[in-house]
Amino acid sequence: MFARQCCSVALLLSLPAVGRAESTFAPVVRDVQPRMVKIYGAGGGRGLEAYQSGFVISAEGHILTVWSYVLDTEFVTVVLDDGRRFQAELIGADPRVEIAVLKIDAEQLSHFALDDAIDLAPGSRVLAFSNLFNVAVGDEAASVLHGSVSARTRLAARRGAFESAYDGPAYVLDAMTNNPGAGGGALTDRRGRLAAVVGKELRNKLDNTWLNYAIPISEVQLSVEQIIDGELRPQPDDPDLRRPAEPMTLALLGIVLIPDVLAKTPPYVDDVVAASPAAESGLQPDDMILFVNDRLAGSASDLKNALSYIDRIDEVRLLVQRGQQLVEVSLFAPDE
Amino acid sequence: MNDFIRCLLAALLLVGSCDLFHASGEDDLIELEERALQAAVAKVAPSVVRIETFGGLERVGNFVVGDGPTTGLVVSEDGYVISSAFNFVQKPDSILVTVGSGRRAAAEIVARDQSRMLVLLKVNTDEKLVPPVVSPRGELVVGQWTLAVGKTLDPQVPNTSTGILSAVNRIWGKAVQTDAKVSPSNYGGPLIDIQGRVIGVLVPMSPQATSEFAGAEWYDSGIGFAVPLDQINAHLDQMKAGNDLHRGLLGISLPKGSIYSEPPKIAACKIRSPADVAGMKAGDTIVAVAGKEVRTVAQLKHALGPLYGGDEVGITVTRGDERIETKVTLAEKLLAYEHPFLGVLPQRNANGIVVRYVYPDSGGGAAGLQQGDRIVRFAGQEYQDPSALRAEIARREVGGNVGVTVMRGDKSLDLQVVLGTLPNEIEAELPPAHDELPLEGVRNVEVGVTEIKIPEEPNTCVAVVPVDYNPRIEYGLVVYLTAPGTFQREAFADRWREAGEENDLIVIAPQPKDAERWTRTEVDFIKKAVDQGVATYNIDPTRVVVYGHQAGGAMAYLTAFEHRDRFTGVVAVDAGLPLRMQLPDNDPISRLAIYTTLVKSSPIAERVEAGIEAFREMKYPVTVTELGSPRELNAGELAELVRWVDALDRL
Repeated sequence: MFARQCCSVALLLSLPAVGRAESTFAPVVRDVQPRMVKIYGAGGGRGLEAYQSGFVISAEGHILTVWSYVLDTEFVTVVLDDGRRFQAELIGADPRVEIAVLKIDAEQLSHFALDDAIDLAPGSRVLAFSNLFNVAVGDEAASVLHGSVSARTRLAARRGAFESAYDGPAYVLDAMTNNPGAGGGALTDRRGRLAAVVGKELRNKLDNTWLNYAIPISEVQLSVEQIIDGELRPQPDDPDLRRPAEPMTLALLGIVLIPDVLAKTPPYVDDVVAASPAAESGLQPDDMILFVNDRLAGSASDLKNALSYIDRIDEVRLLVQRGQQLVEVSLFAPDE
Repeated sequence: MNDFIRCLLAALLLVGSCDLFHASGEDDLIELEERALQAAVAKVAPSVVRIETFGGLERVGNFVVGDGPTTGLVVSEDGYVISSAFNFVQKPDSILVTVGSGRRAAAEIVARDQSRMLVLLKVNTDEKLVPPVVSPRGELVVGQWTLAVGKTLDPQVPNTSTGILSAVNRIWGKAVQTDAKVSPSNYGGPLIDIQGRVIGVLVPMSPQATSEFAGAEWYDSGIGFAVPLDQINAHLDQMKAGNDLHRGLLGISLPKGSIYSEPPKIAACKIRSPADVAGMKAGDTIVAVAGKEVRTVAQLKHALGPLYGGDEVGITVTRGDERIETKVTLAEKLLAYEHPFLGVLPQRNANGIVVRYVYPDSGGGAAGLQQGDRIVRFAGQEYQDPSALRAEIARREVGGNVGVTVMRGDKSLDLQVVLGTLPNEIEAELPPAHDELPLEGVRNVEVGVTEIKIPEEPNTCVAVVPVDYNPRIEYGLVVYLTAPGTFQREAFADRWREAGEENDLIVIAPQPKDAERWTRTEVDFIKKAVDQGVATYNIDPTRVVVYGHQAGGAMAYLTAFEHRDRFTGVVAVDAGLPLRMQLPDNDPISRLAIYTTLVKSSPIAERVEAGIEAFREMKYPVTVTELGSPRELNAGELAELVRWVDALDRL
């Protein structure tokens, strides 16, 4: 008898969950939405949308989003919840955890404090805020999806299982969160407390299904702090900083990049000179160089600039992306 | 409100949570609910196992097999685990199951359920496994919480998706439906209620198709299915003993028409089928299955759907005013039905059943039947009409011995005929099918090369009707489906004009909307064009043939099998069976003869030959014309084909 009563309660609950949304989730949603932003950049065309999502993490305009090709341009535009548009600066990124931090010139913004982020248990109710499919434009609020945490697991239980460079813990979600443009959205608990960054579109190679996942804030917080503290950034072009008399160059290492024709050509390796340090280190054509001695190489010119601050006798550590794998190599220029 | 909280608390207590807390306000209600759902998953977790497979195919058809872990559900302490057949399509070389202690143990497939697409594994372990608690089917309420549970994403903690129960009697009574996300991430895992009790095992399923993949295209779509665990448990001992389970078959033909309105009146019982053995007869109407009333063919399918071969079921039929209770043991497989053949062609427009032609090698020929004989009695019954006799012959058995009485002149002869099988060869010559019949009254239909117009259809349809069309004559109908991009109206008319006039044939050519291709859905238009032709002209229903060339041939098969009641012949020139087509059983009432060309050197030869073999295995009559190269039929072959059509009213 009890069992039957509970069944009917479940039935009733499933309806009020919708009907009473106004009294439970509405204030939470209203509270979170001002912190969400829409991001526009490079891309366009099928499967390469030129937009993604992000959220404000400081009153002074730091924005957390996912690291993606959308940011491969000088002109990244951020649109706040109230419709204000800003030209954003990519201040740094950490491809290892798939995040990037942008900065806009604004003040007193509603924001999430990463220190207050929470962890979620499987089965927890969640809200996912993002601009999936670029449904919202201008001052329209981001879309909200409701669901729960299906599992907390590592994305790379087996090598190559997921087409993602990130292999750390992630929340797999019981909600259709990971759609075009949703990457960089915010995952909160039902009280609106920040828990994770919505990931990019990702296919689960283990069973050929699309995977909905988000990366816990605890996994990205250190990177974000390093970026804001000045690390994991492109080498600043600082007139006060002295360049070495004999700097490192790509030619010394035997690296040929693809022709630098865009304002921000991604630093893809076009060719590796035979018997060069690059060849010995195992660098390959089509590798994309992400970091030079912990300096972000956002573009070919960033990379050359970063090298110009390294003395030719010093070690060069490169973090490269090869397919969906991250590879770290160490090189020295040959003796003269 | 208090009731909500009380019941959720009760649910929590039932799942064994001692975590009591203050509940005040709506927020806490959601939290209570969240905890109840989490506790439900925790309760079933020990019964949910992770399965890993090694080796096997990388691809099955167009489907790329995932190589990740899959899920199973413990069904008994002694090492038995049930899972979805989808998880084993690649035919793995080895299977490992992670048992409760976290150790991997080897497992093997013990038996398969071919009706519900499940597999039973036996895990080689001494460890006692933990079977789950069953959620009784009678307590299910559409709208209640359900959770789909898998163990694929993490080795320790199950992955879950929350939803509600959407329906309880899906896929012919074999499954319940949920809107929780069901996918390869949890196929084989349980669908549970909020108390952590198992409702069923998650599987891909489709009401139309029956392969391991059927329904997998609906993954994560809000439509997911689970096979009720009580149904699985009911046959577990059989499976443990290593017996595969198959859908239970009765062996009857049902009336044509909508399955949702036609009453299940038996059109024919297959020889030695379970229905035949139980004493059912053509003309009986099934009114109840297992004590439950059925009124339509669809309800009958629902009642029989969950049953397996070997299951015994009480079926009630009515015969006239009599109500008969029968006990039927359903079969896994029916003997393929083969049409018995007396060996004659009937004269058309004759008074009674007059023999037009006797097949020399047939039973009738051997017994001494002659052209001009009038058949008056067959197996002790009088007959005046070829169609009634044809139906009676269909109820007999090949090899059966029947007494046939004929009038030869004014002499009555009693003959004993051994019924044979329908011939595949085409006779070299046939006598005229009817006497000269003068036209009476006026012709009020279009003749010559004309059009059949179907309102609201963009497709067109050309018709070639004999200019001497006579409504007193029954015409054969050939529906010609062109190879896309090759149709020429003039050539088509020239090709068929004479053959039609000499052999009482009307030929229509429905055209694809896009001249370059046929699309599957155009079967409907083709059917409408045929209906229109039948409504306009005097068509003999035993000689309606769909003839397709190349891609038109695939359409011909689709059309013929989708509308068995309409077509008695299908002709495929330079065409194989459509891929993944399931051939329906040969049917006593809806006769279908196959004519196909075969070019040994053609790239589709293998497919054509496989089709021929499949048809022969299912006892369809198949006529094969071998050609040296892939081409349309020439004039001589066409004349032969026309004779083949002319003889489809054979008895």
